Amino acid sequence: MYYPFETQVTPLTNVRRERVLPVPGETLVHVGERVEPTQVIARANLPGDFHILPVARLLGVPASQVKRCMRVSLGDDVQQNQVIAARRGLLARSVKSPIDGMMTASGGGRVLIEAQPTLFELRACIHGTVSNVLEHYGAVIETVGAVVQGVWGTGDESSGVLKCVVKSPEKLLRAKAIDPSCHGTILVGGAGLNETAIERAQELQVRGIVTGGLPPELLPLVEELPFPIVVTEGIGTVPMSTPIFHLLTTNDGREASISGQVQPRWGIVRPEVIIPLPAETLPPAETQPGMPLTVGARVRVIRAPYMGAVGTVRALPAHARRIETGTRVHGAEVDLGQGAPIFVPLANLEILR
Amino acid sequence: MIEKQHIGSILLADCGTAMTKAVLLDRAAGQYRFVAHGEAPTTTEYPWSDVAAGIRHAVEQISEVTGRRFFDAGGDLISPELDRQGVDVFAATVSASQPLQVVLGGLVRDLSVASAERAAAGTYSLVKAILAGDDRVGAGLSCPCLSDEERVRTIRDAAPDVICIAGGVEGGATTPVLALVEAAALACSLIEPELRPRLLYAGNSRLRRQVVDIVGEQAELRVADNVRPTLTEENLLGAQAELDALYLQDKMEQLPGIDTVSSWSPAPLTPTARAFGRLVQYLWHLGDPSKGVLGVDVGAANTTVAAAFDGRLSLTVRGDLGITFGGERLLQKQGASTTTRWLPEPMSGDEARGLLINKEMRPTSIPQESRELWLEQALAREAIRTTLQVARPGWKPGTAQLYPHLLPLCDTIVVSGGALAHAPRPGQAALIVLDGLEPIGVCTLVLDAHGLAPAFGNVAAVKPLAAVEALDSGGFVNLATVVAPVGHTRRGDIILKVRVTYDDGSKFSVEVRYGDLEVLPLMPGQQAVLELRPLRHFDVGLGGPGKAGKRRVSGGLAGLIIDARGRPLRFPGEPKQRQAQMRQWLWDVGG
Repeated sequence: MYYPFETQVTPLTNVRRERVLPVPGETLVHVGERVEPTQVIARANLPGDFHILPVARLLGVPASQVKRCMRVSLGDDVQQNQVIAARRGLLARSVKSPIDGMMTASGGGRVLIEAQPTLFELRACIHGTVSNVLEHYGAVIETVGAVVQGVWGTGDESSGVLKCVVKSPEKLLRAKAIDPSCHGTILVGGAGLNETAIERAQELQVRGIVTGGLPPELLPLVEELPFPIVVTEGIGTVPMSTPIFHLLTTNDGREASISGQVQPRWGIVRPEVIIPLPAETLPPAETQPGMPLTVGARVRVIRAPYMGAVGTVRALPAHARRIETGTRVHGAEVDLGQGAPIFVPLANLEILR
Repeated sequence: MIEKQHIGSILLADCGTAMTKAVLLDRAAGQYRFVAHGEAPTTTEYPWSDVAAGIRHAVEQISEVTGRRFFDAGGDLISPELDRQGVDVFAATVSASQPLQVVLGGLVRDLSVASAERAAAGTYSLVKAILAGDDRVGAGLSCPCLSDEERVRTIRDAAPDVICIAGGVEGGATTPVLALVEAAALACSLIEPELRPRLLYAGNSRLRRQVVDIVGEQAELRVADNVRPTLTEENLLGAQAELDALYLQDKMEQLPGIDTVSSWSPAPLTPTARAFGRLVQYLWHLGDPSKGVLGVDVGAANTTVAAAFDGRLSLTVRGDLGITFGGERLLQKQGASTTTRWLPEPMSGDEARGLLINKEMRPTSIPQESRELWLEQALAREAIRTTLQVARPGWKPGTAQLYPHLLPLCDTIVVSGGALAHAPRPGQAALIVLDGLEPIGVCTLVLDAHGLAPAFGNVAAVKPLAAVEALDSGGFVNLATVVAPVGHTRRGDIILKVRVTYDDGSKFSVEVRYGDLEVLPLMPGQQAVLELRPLRHFDVGLGGPGKAGKRRVSGGLAGLIIDARGRPLRFPGEPKQRQAQMRQWLWDVGG
C-alpha cells in the first residue's frame, strides 16, 4: 500500500477556510453573515515601532540623574520632535522623541518610546458565509465552488475575475496577450511567462497570475510583485496540467480569489485559487482524502521527465524496477493517454482530487 | 523496565520530516534478527494530521511481507506479541517536528558565542540571530557592536522560542553580559505575552542573581552552567539539556498524534539525533579506542554529525539544512557555485535553485533524471561539510587528531539518511561521504541501509544485545573500507604501494598515484590483509609519515577504496575541467 499526497483540483466542492489574525483582536462578523472578499472580518493592533533613547549619554549626565531631566513620565503620550528630556545650564542639551508614541519604560539612563500600534485588518478574501466565529482571532468562511491548489506561490491574497490569456496549457504567457481588458483580472497562463509579460501585467494592475511553470531566473522579480502568483506545476517551464487548465478556462470570466501564500512544512499552506459557484447540491466526492493508491486513480506526475502530466494508474507492479538514475523503486504504470503506459516511481505520483 | 522483560519481537520506527521508517526485529535461533522494514511518507499534515498514521502505513508494508498483524481493528498496537501477532516492544525516534528557534547572545564571537552555538546545535534548533559583543548580527560582518535598540529589534524581529545568553568566563566580565540580558528582557517585554520567548542564561554564574532581577516578570528564565567557564574550557551539557528539554516540550510533544505513538512505547520517545548519537557512542565502545567513531545522517530537513572520541559524544545538528529543506537557502547564502562545483555537468545557479524549490514543495519525491540526482548528491556533500564546520571545533579527539586542519582518525563512519542509503550505486554514497568528510587513514564506512540507525540507538540504550545482533543481521551493511593517505606531491607521483592478501591465499599488489581514486575488489563478507607502504612521507595513519603496516579489513558494497586525491580536496578552477574531474571520480567508484 502507498499513501500518496494529494492536490485538490475540484470543480465543485464545499470550501471551508479559517481566517485568523496574527495576534488576538476583535472579530467583526457573526455566524451566518454573508461576506465579500474585501470585507474586513476582524482587526487587531500590531505592536508598533519603538526607539530606545540613550538619554544619559545624549545629555551627558550620569544615569542616576536622568530622572531629574525628564520632561515626560512613564505612560505619557509623546509627539515626534517633542522634548522628552533636557539639561539646563551652561551645557544645556535636550532629547526629542523621534516618533509619535508613548514612553513605556526607562532605566539605566535609557528611555523606551513605543509608537502607537498599527491597525491590522483581516479581510474575508472569498465570497461566502461565516460558519464559525473564532473569538478574538477571526472566523471560518464557507462557500461552494471550484478549488485549484498550486505548488508554489508568492505574494499575498487578492480577488478578481479570471481571464484566460493563452489558448493551450503548453503556451507561454506573452506580453502581447495582456491588453487593457486584463486590468484588475487574474490572468491564467500556460507553461510559463517572461519578464516583459510580468512588467505588462504590473502596468495593467492585474490582481494575480496563475501559471503552470515559472522560469527560475524570474524568482527575484516575482517575489517583489504587488500581486500574487500561483504556480500549479513547479519552477521551470512546465505546461499546466490539463485538468487544472480545463477547470480554470471553463470558469473564465468568473470572480475568483487567489492566494500566493506558501509554507512547505509545519502547517502546510499551499497557494490556491477558489472560484465560488452557485450550486444547491454538491456531487459526491469521488475519493476520500488519505486513501492508498489504487488502480484507476487519477494521478499527476510531480518530477521530470513527465512533470505535470496527468494520467490514470493502470497497474501497480509488485516488484521494484530500475529507473534512469539506476535506482530500483516501486512504482505504478500510468496511462498518460499517449502511447503505452509509463513506469513512474510511487514517490513521484500524487492524487488529483 | 524493558531490559528486564523477556523480549522477543521489537518494532522500531523513526518519524522523519519527509519519511517514516519502521523495522521489525525478532529472535530466531537465540539471536535477534532483522526481519523486514517499511517506509511511508510522514503524515503530520492534512489529510492525516497524525504522525501515528505514517507509522501504521510503514508497518503495513512489514505486514505484507511477514503476514503478521500489528494493529487491532481500532488502530492500536497489539503488544505484547500473542500468537505471532503484534510485538513485544515498540520504540520510536522523532525528527518530524519544527526545530527550536533560537537567538544566541554572547560576548566574543569565537568564544562564548561559538560555545552557545554548539550547545544549540546539540538539539534540533534553528539559530535565527546572533548577538555578539564583538560583532554585528550574524557572522563575518565585522562592525562596531550593536546598539541596545538594534539588539532589541533583532530579537523582536526574529521571534524566537528561546533567547540563550552566554558570555563572561567565571568571575569575568559583568557589565556587557548584563547589557545583553537587559536587551533580551526589554525585547521580551515588547512581545505579546503569549508569544514571548523563554530566556536561557548560560553565562558567568556569579551574575545569576542580577540576571533574575533584570528579567523579573518579563520572561520565563532558565539557568544553566556557564558554557564557557574559562577561555579554554567548554561545558555544554547544562545548556544542551535545557534546550533539549525545551525542544521536547515545545516542539516534539506538540506533533499531532504523538500521544498515540507515545502510548505504544514503554520507553520515552527520543529525538532522532539524540538516539543516533547514542548509537555512535555505543559503537565507539566496540571499536579501536585510540580512534573515533563518526556518524553522519543527512535527513530531509536536518543534518546530524555525531562524533565519539575517548567515549565522549559530541552531537551537532543543523536543523535548517537537509536534502529536501534548506538547500535553496544554502544556495542563496553560499552562492550556487559552492554546491554546483560537485556536479559532473554544467548547471546554472538559477536552474539549481528552481530544482531545489521543486524538491521542497514535493519533499517525498525522488529524482528520476541523473541531472537532478547529481544535484541532490551535491547538496548532501555541502550539508555534511557545513555541519562539520560547526561540529569540529567542539570535538576533543585527543591522539586521534593527527593534523589540526584535517579530520581526526576514525575507525568507523556510520552513514545514514535517504540520499546516502538510497543512492543508486554504493560507490556514489561512498563518494558523497569521502567528499563531505575527507577522512584520513584507514576507516570503514558503514551504511544504514534502512534508515534505522537512530532506532537502533534507542534499542542500544535498553537492550544492547538486540542492537548488536540486529545490526549484524542486516540492519547495517559495510559500504567500503577506505584508505586515505595524507601528504602532498605532484599529481601522478606514486605515493602508496598496496598489497592485498585474501583469506583464500590469493593476492595482488597495486601502486597508487597521487590524485587517483582507486577501487579494489573486496566484496561484502570478504576479508583481507592490507599491506600499506606509503612513499614520499605520506601518512596512512599507521604511526606517522612514511610508516608502513598491515591491517585486516572487511569488504563492502563499494569495495576497498584508496582515496589518494590528497587532503584537503582540491578542484580545477576551470568549470569544464572540474566537471570532467567529477565525472572521473564518479566513474572510478562505479557511480
